[in-house]
Amino acid sequence: MVAKNSAGKRSAAILDPKAVARLKERFQKQNVALVVAFFAILLVAPLLPGFKGWMAGQAALVIVYIIAAQGVSILCGYTGLVSVGHGGFLAIGAYTAALLTKHLALDLILSVIAGAITAGFVGMLMGLIFLRLAGPFMAIGTLGFAFFVGAVVNNVKVFEGREGISLPPNRIFGQVIGDTEFYYVAVAFLAGVTIFIFSLVRSSLGRALKSLRDAEKAAQSCGVNRLQYRTLAFTVSATITGAAGALNGLITHYVSAEVYSDIWYSVDILVAAVVGGSAMLMGPIVGGTFVAMLPFVLETLADFSFILKGAVLIAVLMFAPAGVCEVVARPFRAWRRRRLEVAGHGTTPPAPELRVVASKGEP
Amino acid sequence: MLGQQLISGLATGSLYALTAIAVVVVFRNTRTINVAQGDFSMIAAFVAVLFLKSGLNYYATIAATVAFTVLLGIVVERLVMRPIADSDWLTLFTATLGVYYIMHGVAGWIWGRDTKAFPVTFNPTPVEIFGVIISEGHLINMGWAGAIGVVLFIFFRYTKQGIAMRAVTDDPETAKLMGIPVRFIVMLTWGMAGFLGAFAGILIAPILYVSPQMMDEVLIKGYVAAVFGGLYSIPGAVVGALMIGVAENLAGGYLGSHYKTATAFVMIVALLALRPQGLFGIQKRREI
Repeated sequence: MVAKNSAGKRSAAILDPKAVARLKERFQKQNVALVVAFFAILLVAPLLPGFKGWMAGQAALVIVYIIAAQGVSILCGYTGLVSVGHGGFLAIGAYTAALLTKHLALDLILSVIAGAITAGFVGMLMGLIFLRLAGPFMAIGTLGFAFFVGAVVNNVKVFEGREGISLPPNRIFGQVIGDTEFYYVAVAFLAGVTIFIFSLVRSSLGRALKSLRDAEKAAQSCGVNRLQYRTLAFTVSATITGAAGALNGLITHYVSAEVYSDIWYSVDILVAAVVGGSAMLMGPIVGGTFVAMLPFVLETLADFSFILKGAVLIAVLMFAPAGVCEVVARPFRAWRRRRLEVAGHGTTPPAPELRVVASKGEP
Repeated sequence: MLGQQLISGLATGSLYALTAIAVVVVFRNTRTINVAQGDFSMIAAFVAVLFLKSGLNYYATIAATVAFTVLLGIVVERLVMRPIADSDWLTLFTATLGVYYIMHGVAGWIWGRDTKAFPVTFNPTPVEIFGVIISEGHLINMGWAGAIGVVLFIFFRYTKQGIAMRAVTDDPETAKLMGIPVRFIVMLTWGMAGFLGAFAGILIAPILYVSPQMMDEVLIKGYVAAVFGGLYSIPGAVVGALMIGVAENLAGGYLGSHYKTATAFVMIVALLALRPQGLFGIQKRREI
């Protein structure tokens, strides 16, 4: 969904380009300030009086979900690709970290990074296969991948199947840490990934990916190597989701096929990205929180949480196809655009007619 | 031994074929990868249990269940899919995910998450035909699947609606201009998905038993089979489904049951890497 002004008249003459640039910089600073404020709240939260120990663990789980959704959002938001198999990367990250922690007693941070790298490597291999396919085929192929990973962890001995692998307490630099410390680790990873995506989207790489998403042929004719960039995006996305998986396994101290062979894990992550709005920084954060909190809030009503999740998903697709965050952000964006117009022209322009151009996907 | 494995593979494959055909029919008419296809079957199985317990006989149960599921398909189309029919495929796909969640939740709510036995079981004593020993269940399943295949063939070949449906598949715009009621055909498509889903559910229920997640694996295999036909060709999907059934059974028989579930994925990776357009798919020129 792209909201457009009647562009022809406006772009003709900006009287004061400096003022526009200043204003743009200010808006950028506001964006950064919002994100910083968000993380400040996350950092202070455990110090608040009403905060109890179990909340830290629960919050860390929510953050894990958010990171996983961020991984997916790189693909379906900024690159225009869809993976329904990211649960597979989640599992790969979790099992890598779990095996390293159990057998080598590796440090928490190191095993998370190892999990992320392993998932990224597998992601690269999968990307080489799947990225040659048109969207729907890719969706099915990646779903098959998640299914395959599920079959492997269920049946290969090392992964201990449904019995699962129980893990010792987590250690950082040899120190045993509890849930609250783990929460801070999770927040740190979340911050890292968020900053990464923030700068990725604004880099030349991000622009190349978005140009491939919006006009594939045009981008290619400008020299953007489709397969190369998309493989890179797929790898990065798998890496991030792998890190989420590793965190997920380590915080619960338990990794089993019961959990990770569930292919609908993959679907949940995708739903989180879609509901929140995958092309926005806040999207996966809102969507991930929604999906992760739902079964927690409706603990005794698991089936009802399924129904609610489905209903919310369908409602979002019908009324806010670009995600909940996009709807919330829309008036602010319109206001900023007006401010920019005023700054550029010195006067209030005639109210621009807002035209909504629905994207019809690939032609 | 080999003959046995082949036959039971074909029997399982023919059940996958029902799901695969439904996936193909819905995709080529509406660009929707239908995640809820498995749930049509799952709901059908539960409803069939209900009918059977209330004393209806097997055939009346099938008729009633099919009617119910066809209606369910149409309701899904009207309430969920039609308002967003013009969206891109990802939105449509995600919407069926929503339907999946809702149906899953409703089934779990009403009937519970535990696996239940299906009241109809087949005679376990196998019959011998041409030196190959076949269980009665396999025979019955193959019979039903074959009969449905014939019905579909007649429908697409000789009936007005079937021909109209093929026209919509080939070119919805032109079909509309020629006076074909495209909306009605799309509704019919979802009805057909319900029809095929009902049979898949009732026939699989004695093998996999009845639970909300009974169809998850079958659905994935149906997808893989559908990809064999390039998500477009019904014969391709059927061949794909039979191949998956046989390959899976052979892998299970000779390599051990661990490898059974992974077979479908290995097949799809090989297929997608070698022939991305599907086994029988036509390479469509991509538009700019």
